[in-house]
Amino acid sequence: MGKRDVGRDINGRSPLQRHFRRYWQLYLMMVVPVVYFIVFKYIPMIGNVLAFRKYRPGKGIFGTEWVGFRYFKRFFEDPAFWRAFRNTLSLSLLNIVFTFPLPIVFAILLNEVNRKRFKKVVQTISYMPRFISTVVVIAMMTEILSPSSGLFNQFRVNVLHLQPVYYMNEPQYFRFLYIASGAWQFTGWTAIIYLASITNINSDLYEAAEIDGAGRFQQIFHVTLPSILPTIMVMLILEVGRLLSLGFEKVLLMYTPSNSSVSDIIDTLVYRTGLTNQNYSYATAIGLFSGIIGLVLVSGSNKLSKLLTGDGIY
Amino acid sequence: MPKVKDTSASSKALNVIIYAVMVFSLLICIIPFIYMVSLSLSSPKAIINNQVRLIPKGINFEAYKQIFTYPNFFRAYGNTIFYTIAGTFIALCMTILFAYPLSKTYLKGQKILMKMVIFSMYFAGGLIPNYLLISSLHLTGTRFAMLIPFAINQFNLIIMVNFFKALPQEIEEAALIDGIGYFSILPRIILPLSTAAIATVGLYYAVFFWNDWFNGLIYLNTKQYPVMLFLRNIVNGTMVLGDSSSASTDTATLSISIKSAVIITSTLPIIVLYPFLQKYFVKGLTVGSVKG
Repeated sequence: MGKRDVGRDINGRSPLQRHFRRYWQLYLMMVVPVVYFIVFKYIPMIGNVLAFRKYRPGKGIFGTEWVGFRYFKRFFEDPAFWRAFRNTLSLSLLNIVFTFPLPIVFAILLNEVNRKRFKKVVQTISYMPRFISTVVVIAMMTEILSPSSGLFNQFRVNVLHLQPVYYMNEPQYFRFLYIASGAWQFTGWTAIIYLASITNINSDLYEAAEIDGAGRFQQIFHVTLPSILPTIMVMLILEVGRLLSLGFEKVLLMYTPSNSSVSDIIDTLVYRTGLTNQNYSYATAIGLFSGIIGLVLVSGSNKLSKLLTGDGIY
Repeated sequence: MPKVKDTSASSKALNVIIYAVMVFSLLICIIPFIYMVSLSLSSPKAIINNQVRLIPKGINFEAYKQIFTYPNFFRAYGNTIFYTIAGTFIALCMTILFAYPLSKTYLKGQKILMKMVIFSMYFAGGLIPNYLLISSLHLTGTRFAMLIPFAINQFNLIIMVNFFKALPQEIEEAALIDGIGYFSILPRIILPLSTAAIATVGLYYAVFFWNDWFNGLIYLNTKQYPVMLFLRNIVNGTMVLGDSSSASTDTATLSISIKSAVIITSTLPIIVLYPFLQKYFVKGLTVGSVKG
């Protein structure tokens, strides 16, 4: 055999030819999904160039001519943008501070429940809100807090003899309600991750702690918590990475003109300027800006996570 | 896990705290639903007099009778069922067809495709580019706008890929030696082994399509609205139910019951099916750690 024939089989096929002969069906199988992926995930990504180009109706989704950073300059000078930016950051940070510890506490306590059946019931019911539509969550909240008939105002009026409050409309309650409804919806679900991490703890550690005379409290603080600390760190870092991506749909559902001073976040601003007022390029620029910050935050926090715990998300 | 019975006082105190927290959590999760049921079954008079708490007062089914006479509620409900079934079916097909090849690390370009998938989870085209894409494809105002753009969710895709990767390769190799191609291996050998993963991912998709409203808002005409968008519109007052000509206090308070009745009927499928499907939901989280 000559040098060029290295690796060829008896039919004279090269390794590459053999590879495709063997696996062509797998390649063919993913043609449609790959095309789909390019069209519906990557074209919109490339569509972000609209932030640097002028949009004219009917002239394509990528716009017509380059205008450089015109739209970025414009929103940097727009107080509405900075208000939305501040609102996004404060809502997000408050959300992390208040909702991050809840699933950890819940998981640790749930793990200490000794009755199997009761534990199962608690788990089943506490995961359920995760599957309820945001629309339903907000609709229920609106009814519970309704100034005319809601449970809370019944209590205020009948027991405390105070004036009813229109909670969903008052700016000072918006952040609390956003955070509380999020905690209601996701505490049980997020606890699954910590529970899984707790079940992976080597039981020898608990036995050793017990021999050393550690009670259940001490076992929680000296065995359980340190053991799930890496998981906590990864989750926290991920949370920080998602700082700018709040639950846009929920904020949009809770948005009213009277609470807009705190409820207008970057995403609702993009929605309003883009889809309501049809300033497509301007809104794309704002969206791209927050998308890039988001990407920087995610990759930065992932690096940090790998550095600290040796575990990242990709 | 501590197996030996700890009978100290601190352990008892801990038990009290644990059970108090757990019972509190249960109540918090359940009470909103009970309150909704109660409102939907109460008489307008009891509601306006602020008498309705967790037990319905003046039980009647007027609100449910009412919503079933609204043609737009029925249509919206039917739309949602269609979006959920069609959307989940399309999404499952697309996800499986992509995930199976992606689980074969020896394929050329597999690594790059996987990187593409993961990158798109962290940096996506924003709202506007997506909107312009859908309208330039002339999907706006068609029911496809609710289905096609969401055919592959990257998170679900990765769950499937990881599941396929974990399957034993021997059966597949035996089938290949017998001259059976991948087109028949996938439906005949792989899919029957993957019912748990398919159920998990299918449920995630079904819940997504059932709960979706925003895409309906920006892409659809009123007649194509899903039930969640219908609910959102009656809650924020964009849509008035029934005939507004006879707007008395009675219809105003009846509307509270009606809202609650819509909340209950639109959530019922999830609440009823949920306990049976729960194990699959949870499996998804453990099967699919988000790793390339």
